[in-house]
Amino acid sequence: MTLKDFWHNSKIGVMGGGSWGTVLANLASQNSREVRVWLRDEESVRLINSTRVHSAFHPHLQLNERVHAYHSLERFFDGGLQAVLWALPSSVCREQAQRVAPFLQGDEIILHATKGIEAGSLKRISEILTEELPCRRIGVLSGPNLANEMARGEPAAAAIASVFNEVCDAGQALLAGERFRIYREADVVGVEWAGALKNIFAIASGALDAMKLGWNSRAMLMTRGLAEMVRFGKVMGAQEATFLGLAGVGDLFATCSSPLSRNYRVGFQLAQGEKLDQVLAELGSTAEGVKTAQSVYEYAVARKIDMPITEGVYRLLTEKVPVLEVLHHLMSRPAG
Amino acid sequence: MCPNIINEKTGSHPSIRFEQIPIIPGPLSRFERIRSKLLEDVVTRTQNELSHGSLDILLGEALYTERLRLKRDHGNIFTRSRLKNDRALWGQVHGGLVKPAAEVDRHLLLQQVIRYYANEIGSHFDSRVYRFATRAVPWGFSWLLNAASVKRFLPWGMSESLESRLHIVGEVPALQSLAKKGTILLVPTHQSNIDSVLIGYIIYLMSLPPFAYGAGLNLFSNPILSFFMSRLGSYTVDRQKTNSIYKHTLKNYSTRILSEGIHSIFFPGGGRSRSGAIESKVKLGLLGTALEAQIEGLRSGNPSPRVFVVPMVSSYHFVLEASSLIEGYLADSGKHRFIHTDDDFWQPAQMLGFFWKLFSSQCGVTVRIGKPLDVFGNFVNEDGESIGPNGTIIQPSKWLTTRGEIRCEPQRDVEYTRELGARLVDRFHKDNTVLTSHLVAFAFFETLRKKYIDFDLFRFLRLSLPQRSIPYSDFLEAAEIYHKKLLNQAARGALFVADELQTGNTEAWVKDGLSQLGLLHDAAVVKVHDGVIWTEDMNLLYYYRNRLTGYGLSLLAEWEGNQTILGKNDSQGFLA
Repeated sequence: MTLKDFWHNSKIGVMGGGSWGTVLANLASQNSREVRVWLRDEESVRLINSTRVHSAFHPHLQLNERVHAYHSLERFFDGGLQAVLWALPSSVCREQAQRVAPFLQGDEIILHATKGIEAGSLKRISEILTEELPCRRIGVLSGPNLANEMARGEPAAAAIASVFNEVCDAGQALLAGERFRIYREADVVGVEWAGALKNIFAIASGALDAMKLGWNSRAMLMTRGLAEMVRFGKVMGAQEATFLGLAGVGDLFATCSSPLSRNYRVGFQLAQGEKLDQVLAELGSTAEGVKTAQSVYEYAVARKIDMPITEGVYRLLTEKVPVLEVLHHLMSRPAG
Repeated sequence: MCPNIINEKTGSHPSIRFEQIPIIPGPLSRFERIRSKLLEDVVTRTQNELSHGSLDILLGEALYTERLRLKRDHGNIFTRSRLKNDRALWGQVHGGLVKPAAEVDRHLLLQQVIRYYANEIGSHFDSRVYRFATRAVPWGFSWLLNAASVKRFLPWGMSESLESRLHIVGEVPALQSLAKKGTILLVPTHQSNIDSVLIGYIIYLMSLPPFAYGAGLNLFSNPILSFFMSRLGSYTVDRQKTNSIYKHTLKNYSTRILSEGIHSIFFPGGGRSRSGAIESKVKLGLLGTALEAQIEGLRSGNPSPRVFVVPMVSSYHFVLEASSLIEGYLADSGKHRFIHTDDDFWQPAQMLGFFWKLFSSQCGVTVRIGKPLDVFGNFVNEDGESIGPNGTIIQPSKWLTTRGEIRCEPQRDVEYTRELGARLVDRFHKDNTVLTSHLVAFAFFETLRKKYIDFDLFRFLRLSLPQRSIPYSDFLEAAEIYHKKLLNQAARGALFVADELQTGNTEAWVKDGLSQLGLLHDAAVVKVHDGVIWTEDMNLLYYYRNRLTGYGLSLLAEWEGNQTILGKNDSQGFLA
């Protein structure tokens, strides 16, 4: 059986029907027999199955008839799945992996699309999944993929990485299409860390925009931010070149420039003087950058990795230092 | 000198019986019958694997590397005939390759080479010889023990048994039960040529059937040893032959043996550890044959197709060939122009000498059987089930299923084997038993190094004799600190410590360590006199100290912060 044939006849599961999970499910439905989406919220499951629209995130995206939503894990995994796309926030990753583990056979391909890390332990999502799931073939999908634009079917590209070629094969066979290109990367650590780190700078970018600053400042932020990402990533075992790819600089551009990005919105509203709790409550969905900034900053201090912008974001988030003061502090550092 | 009392605690696992045990017939016993079929199988498989590309290039490359090897190797009285055969074969290949393909069939030429290699690798197990050897070896051991001990004025009639010298600990019952459920691949650390003999004897003591093992071709250069080794189930591995025809043949041989259900032994580190450290890297080529055999077993529908990988770590107070090993290591890593060749002969006289020295001193050997793993590096319980994350049982067949079928997927399998290799390195470190002498060497080396902190390693090792001493009290102080650190690590499960080290009495264990450390070398590794401790041989001290490499105990680890990932930060192979 050829690769394409196999995946055309496959059943795919998508863990998490958030804004990106829904789009992924719809993409995968083009190339497989059946796609099941698991959602925590029973009401949404009923609505999706009856209206074929996930109105909370994508009111205009008509879901393929091969996509079905589930609430029960037993029924979600019933009869076996060939691949599971993992689109849950990092904060619930381990807990959900533990709940899902008994249902997995071991031959499933797991592809996660979470751009975050475990708070405190700084473990990458693929590390958590390896620790919790009875599967070994695990990979990551990352890149400049703002879900709303993806839902509209605008052309885009992403990076996929796994130590197992068959995971990359599966990801490309399932998700790539005429509007979505998927490039393979070898550096799993780099792709995962790039995806997690850029969220910190998206917060900073939002804050800059709230002060109505122009392109020069944003270019400075992104370039110096990229330098910090590389510095940190290398300590974690990533390769420098990965940060120049879609998962690195590509994602950084998209997230720092788009007001659609959740982390950007957090930074924007904080800079306007709103309280963090309030901002997060309003957002409704997860802004990974908030927790990432905290964990990364603490680790960078302990390991003496120079990360001034991250420190600024951290102080903005936790110590409620006004954004102007943070900016002033950053600008008055001796330039290297 | 430590007393000749058999400590209750230091004994081996209760299931080890130091007595004459009946020989357990294993699959290797019928090896003679399947040998020719097995070798034919290896030849066919290897030929199929290699027949895809251009045979001219393949054979040409092999010819080139083999000619280079033959040019360098002058051989000795025992190996000359083998080298002559080698030259004749490659002469024929050369003669064939210069003629057009229409005249000389390249496939036949390739087959000839593969068959030649397969015959060289293939062993002649002989159960009669095995029976003889297992009787002769313990008899020899006890004889040596007693004869040597007489010098120590043991009371008449009291004979010291092997039990007090050889401690076999760890997962002995698990290994014994798994050997009945599947095929065992035993992967020991390798420090000394004596390992092969010792392991063979330990396998016998554990009441396991004979194992096949790959032994370096240089060990076969002695005809007596060669006779025994090949008839005890060993096959030859020649690390000098680097061409791909040889590598494929060897791998296929190993895979076939494992899938026949013949328990095997590899030294995954390749050769002996030259630095004295525990293997921080393993060779994946042969290790991968375990996975291949597992896939074959699952596909064949064999009722007990499991392959289990069992690590084993032996700890010695003293390694006979330590000085030539460490010199070779330093010459290589120091990029000296002169590369020391380390192909020292293993003569029966030398071996006898080793055992005499081993047993006449108070040195013991501790061998720990590690927790059994599956071919992916997961732990395996006594029923042979693989334990996945969080204690769940996982199905290896599922991990080997790609697109709905159990099959070989080269890229996937390489990755699995890499994970197994990484796991083995980790297990080797955790199953290591630290002896008193290792800690004495480590503590002294590190304390001395603190004095010359700005020296690089090579300059440090060339310190003059007066420079190599420190006050004994300083050493004791440091020893106590390192001892504490070590016990902390042991409590965390990062390593094991010998029973002698489980004491709060620093003086006691230091005394034990000092009396044992490399005792039988010509130069004293450590000497204490008049409140001063010094060494006569820096390289040997370094060698024994390296046993504690990779645990983040050293000075350098303290400087670099919390980089204590085991074995991973030792790319230089120096400190950490």
